[in-house]
Amino acid sequence: MSESRRRWWHRLTTRSPLLVTLDALILGFVVGALVIITTTASVLDAWRAMFSSWAAFGHACKLTADVVGAAYRAMFTGAVVDPRIFWHALTTGHGWTLALTPLSETLTYAAPLIIASIGVGIAFQTGIFNIGANGQAILGGVAGAYMGSLVHLPTVVHLPLTLAAGIVGGVVVGLVPGLLKAYTGAHEVIVTLMLNYVVAALLIFTLLSTVLQQPGQQNDISRTLTPSAQLAPLFGAASGLRVNWGLAVAALVVIFAWWFLERSSLGFDFRVTGANPQAARASGINARAVIVLVFVISGGLAGLAGIVQLAGTTHYLDGGFLIGNAGIGFTAITVSLLGRNRPVGIVWSSLLFAGLGVGGRAMQVATGIPLDLATVIQSAVVLFVATPVLVQEIFRLRHAAAGEVRLATSGWGS
Amino acid sequence: MSRGDSRRVRLGTWLGTASLLAGSLTLGVGSVSAQAAAKPFKACVVTDTGGINDKSFNASAWKGMQDAHARNKNIVPSYLSSSSSTDYVPNINSFVHEGCGIIVTVGFLMDQATQQAANAHPKQKFAIVDDAPQHLKYHNVLALQYETNQAAFLGGYLAAAMTHTGVVGTYGGMQFPSVTMYMNGFVAGVRYFDKVKGAAVKVLGWTPAKGNCTLATCNGTGTFVGNFTDQTAGKTIAANDFAAGADIVFPVAGSVGLGSVVAAQQAGRGHSIMWVDSNGCVSDAADCSWFIGTVAKGVEASVRDAVLKAASGKFRGGTYLGTLKNQGTALDYGGIPVPAAVKKAIAAITKGIESGRISINPNSYPAK
Repeated sequence: MSESRRRWWHRLTTRSPLLVTLDALILGFVVGALVIITTTASVLDAWRAMFSSWAAFGHACKLTADVVGAAYRAMFTGAVVDPRIFWHALTTGHGWTLALTPLSETLTYAAPLIIASIGVGIAFQTGIFNIGANGQAILGGVAGAYMGSLVHLPTVVHLPLTLAAGIVGGVVVGLVPGLLKAYTGAHEVIVTLMLNYVVAALLIFTLLSTVLQQPGQQNDISRTLTPSAQLAPLFGAASGLRVNWGLAVAALVVIFAWWFLERSSLGFDFRVTGANPQAARASGINARAVIVLVFVISGGLAGLAGIVQLAGTTHYLDGGFLIGNAGIGFTAITVSLLGRNRPVGIVWSSLLFAGLGVGGRAMQVATGIPLDLATVIQSAVVLFVATPVLVQEIFRLRHAAAGEVRLATSGWGS
Repeated sequence: MSRGDSRRVRLGTWLGTASLLAGSLTLGVGSVSAQAAAKPFKACVVTDTGGINDKSFNASAWKGMQDAHARNKNIVPSYLSSSSSTDYVPNINSFVHEGCGIIVTVGFLMDQATQQAANAHPKQKFAIVDDAPQHLKYHNVLALQYETNQAAFLGGYLAAAMTHTGVVGTYGGMQFPSVTMYMNGFVAGVRYFDKVKGAAVKVLGWTPAKGNCTLATCNGTGTFVGNFTDQTAGKTIAANDFAAGADIVFPVAGSVGLGSVVAAQQAGRGHSIMWVDSNGCVSDAADCSWFIGTVAKGVEASVRDAVLKAASGKFRGGTYLGTLKNQGTALDYGGIPVPAAVKKAIAAITKGIESGRISINPNSYPAK
């Protein structure tokens, strides 16, 4: 075995954050496959008959591979690209919209998720659990909707103002737990979690009882953002692709977050506080200011995510805005953990989660397997990432040298 | 680390690599094995956030699809659930690209998404449950609407006739026209009973505004949960109603009403629930003996018919209005025995509503 090959082998068998994540991904898809197998009647029937003959056993294996393969293939072609449609577009010059739609959809879903997850990630890096990103995002959407639908200005002013209103909305919700924690020591997990319910109720109130409600409607639906406040499709409305300038906003946020965490002195204070609060205090970092500022930044980014979601896709609010498993603020927590709270990692994990969601839809349309499977895979991946020891044992990885593996977060309550 | 340790067989790593390879192979080489039978007619439903298991109108729309399949095996139903309003457009688009013969969308929240898609794809047939899009360019959308206040009127009459305490209750999920319509009809039915029988049955939980309350836009004041999922709230509200002397409660809140059933069971026999949307003795058969009846909305039948018509090429856009007459809305009796005289009176009232002789406006009758 040559030296370089041996080094590769060593890296592939030694526990490292990246390898654990990749292995967790593989395990997630294995769990997904098991779910498909155990919930598809035809596959189960084939396995039940496997003891009758070798042919039946072979048939069961083949059917399993076909069904699972078809599901994952549909997921891939639905989330990234369908090679055949792409080739058709490449050779004939027609059908580009259809060929690029999967990627466009994945990016459309990923943009607000990236923004919200970076907000959550920055808080995690400071040792603070912001479980309230969803409420912050909802109020960001509400504030942005007021600015975007009731004010009339040219795009150059209106769009930035609308996005700013979204940020302010998120900051307002974020400040409540921030100030409470800094000055009274209230636990941010409880406060942020509970505020989600307050804001969800506030959303319904604004939709049913204020000027935001669409005129002539008694249902929970808001006015539509004026075109000057909308994030236009990146390739124009005629392209038929929904990917919009929200992606550019997300890119700016990633750059900002990288600079903030790696280059700014405030970001350094944040990370020191997260790594060791006592040391931070001893070295003269103002803990109160850090806590409040974390919530300003984290809440502001969540609010921005909410308004990007609104201004980029639906353009109006309704009672189902960011409710349930679509609550990007909740997804952001898992996305951020999967991305190890770092901007670049979060970009990858956001793309993965968005792709699983979008691909899951294509899978359901093509194979009839419910898109909830995508959620199962997402959850399983996160579960495995959160338990590196389990992944290490399953893949029999070597222990890393001390200090190589960093915890994703420090313990709660610190 | 010992030398022996580094020689250990890394079985897991091999498996992982192998499965990745196998995955990429299937992705690249795999052939499309599905697709069989001669030209199936795809009937596709995009559900609201409730999903197809909500025991309410999404479930009913999906059931309608399956009923259509039962009558015409060539119809292949499929569905996509929306996890939020951002999913409406991509879900509908997926089905348009999939070549669905008809796309059924559920609920007024999908109004705009359905409208956009219908205007962008003139040849694609749509049906939308519980909504009437106003800005359509083509005749490719069938709006399915239901005058549920007609059946709710019968429900109100039944409740008033059956109560022993002289008090009945109602509450809604959220204050939407599609919800308050039931409550207006219910109150009208009670008031009609009071007028005809010289009784004074009281309704808790809803007071219609003045004016013409046969229209969906009629508002009022009353008790609302704020969502269609919180069964604990449904239990609390019903328990409060029972404590306030009511013995029959009419929840207009989808699965929230299941909490009220529990409240009735805890309050004991003599307390009952008027179910909503789809026959409680079918969708929640175990609790049938606690249901006095169901104010049903004919989502299943109307979706089934729309799909069947689309499959046989007889689809026409426009509006379908479900009434007592075409059984688009109806009062189903539950597990609690109702005297024949009451049933007879209700049958007569049904005729009266159909002919327009009996007003279903609560303000046509004196409030007690």
